Amino acid sequence: MAELEFLTLSVKIGERVLLERVTLRVERGDFVALIGPNGAGKTTLLKAALGLRTPTSGSVQLSGQRLSALDARSRAAEIAWLPQHIRADEPLTGLETVAAARFRFRESHAQSQQAAARALARVGASDYAARRVTELSGGERQRVAFACLVAQDAKTLLFDEPANHLDPAQQLEVYRLLAQLWREGRTIVCINHDVNLLNHLGNAERVRVVGLSAGQIAFELPLSDDALPEQLGALFGVEMDALRIGTAQRFIVPRARSQS
Amino acid sequence: MKLRLLLTLSACLALFAAAVLVGQSLSGPQGAFIVWQLRLPRVLVGALVGATLALVGAVFQALFQNPLATSDTVGTTAGATVGALAALAFDGSRTVQGLPLVTVCAFIGALGASSLVASFASSRRAHSSDVLLAGIAVTLATSAFASGIQYVSDSRALFAATQWALGQLPQVGYRGVLLLLPVCALSSMALLLLTRHLQAFALGEELAHSQGVNVPRLRLLALGLGSLGVAACVAWCGPIAFVGLIVPHLVRLLLGPSYRVLLPMSLVVGAAFLVSCDLFARLVVPGRDLPVGIVTAALGAPALVALVARTRR
Repeated sequence: MAELEFLTLSVKIGERVLLERVTLRVERGDFVALIGPNGAGKTTLLKAALGLRTPTSGSVQLSGQRLSALDARSRAAEIAWLPQHIRADEPLTGLETVAAARFRFRESHAQSQQAAARALARVGASDYAARRVTELSGGERQRVAFACLVAQDAKTLLFDEPANHLDPAQQLEVYRLLAQLWREGRTIVCINHDVNLLNHLGNAERVRVVGLSAGQIAFELPLSDDALPEQLGALFGVEMDALRIGTAQRFIVPRARSQS
Repeated sequence: MKLRLLLTLSACLALFAAAVLVGQSLSGPQGAFIVWQLRLPRVLVGALVGATLALVGAVFQALFQNPLATSDTVGTTAGATVGALAALAFDGSRTVQGLPLVTVCAFIGALGASSLVASFASSRRAHSSDVLLAGIAVTLATSAFASGIQYVSDSRALFAATQWALGQLPQVGYRGVLLLLPVCALSSMALLLLTRHLQAFALGEELAHSQGVNVPRLRLLALGLGSLGVAACVAWCGPIAFVGLIVPHLVRLLLGPSYRVLLPMSLVVGAAFLVSCDLFARLVVPGRDLPVGIVTAALGAPALVALVARTRR
């Protein structure tokens, strides 16, 4: 049974088409990297999976059940989300913020706090437990939101450009955590602008790269596939080169346009 | 933290006691009457109203993720005003089942305006900012309606309307306490049960949704329960400005922003705040009772500016 399935899903706002008949099956334990130009519909696809965007036609299924038939808490047990932008208007501490993410569990406040402390430790953010989220930097706040995602403990995890605006060390740390969660058997769908970061996951032949363009799926290939550079080039409208470092790692980089 | 909590609680208790005891000497049967039939019921009504307005303010600020949201912003007060004005223009002295017509109409008006906003809020597509906008639209439209009623009212009704709009806690006996207690208690207790839901709003309503909060239902519940409590208070005492705005911010400054403290302590501090404003209103002009709404607004507005300035520093 697919953990997450989009069935000929279309999302339109007025005349504007955000997603057009997207069909995608995500099996348990899959890692799907969504890639595509800005405005291709990547975030809309994640939001549709969460029920934050209502389909114009088609449907989303979670573990074989229609998303619209699930109550909010059951949905939260299936699927969780790390958004790209995290707003923080309430000056709560990191620990309280993460404890609040345990909403789907019917447990005591003390239990929520213990789980929150574990989640913060797991993502290396224990230092932010007592600090106000409004006073944290963007990267630090994102780490707290990552802990929220871990604390929610859902089967499928959605990430919207988790490495955006992070320095290289933090980017590596995020992908180390992603790899860890994946190895534990979580299903992951991750929007990603830089395919090369996916190398840090290992298991390149099991990472499914899905190209999205103008609301439709343009291609789907394993990360290790030889045709990937060419497909990415077509997706972004630039020429791509594949560089190999050693035997294991392949980097895909845009070719510099000749200056004449 | 525990110490601060204790200090705040004792300060509030001291204020309640002062509100009953401060004033002219209380010897003899006349003194007993003043304490038991005049001051105590007035303090109790003030405490109920202050607690409800403050808690509802804290809840609405969380719900709309807007520090300026209160029951005034979602049409409750404006609806009550229209109801009251209509009753005053019709016949201010009439009663229904022993209750003043003004009170009954204000209650109906408050619930009517709030349910307009609440019905919009329960739509799945609406964002919190849309709901707030709908609240402001209902408030403006209702105020225009109120102006229309005033335009066609006679001068006696106009004077009564102005008096009503100032907000007062004039009490003899325990009728107000008995009327307000069940409604305010129901609304406040039920709102306190939503603490966890509201805390999940801390990182925005989309994240709260993904964490398992049924956002439209929460909005409907919080708006409905909050408006019910406020409608009862406004119907009985008239609109009392600023309590719902000031008190939650005050509690945040004193005791931190965790909703597990903020919501229950808004009840306590809100009660003490309104009771002490009323004490001030009773004493400031010897021999005359000022409407407490004047005091809360006069104290509240500068206090708000000071608070904002302090938080920005």
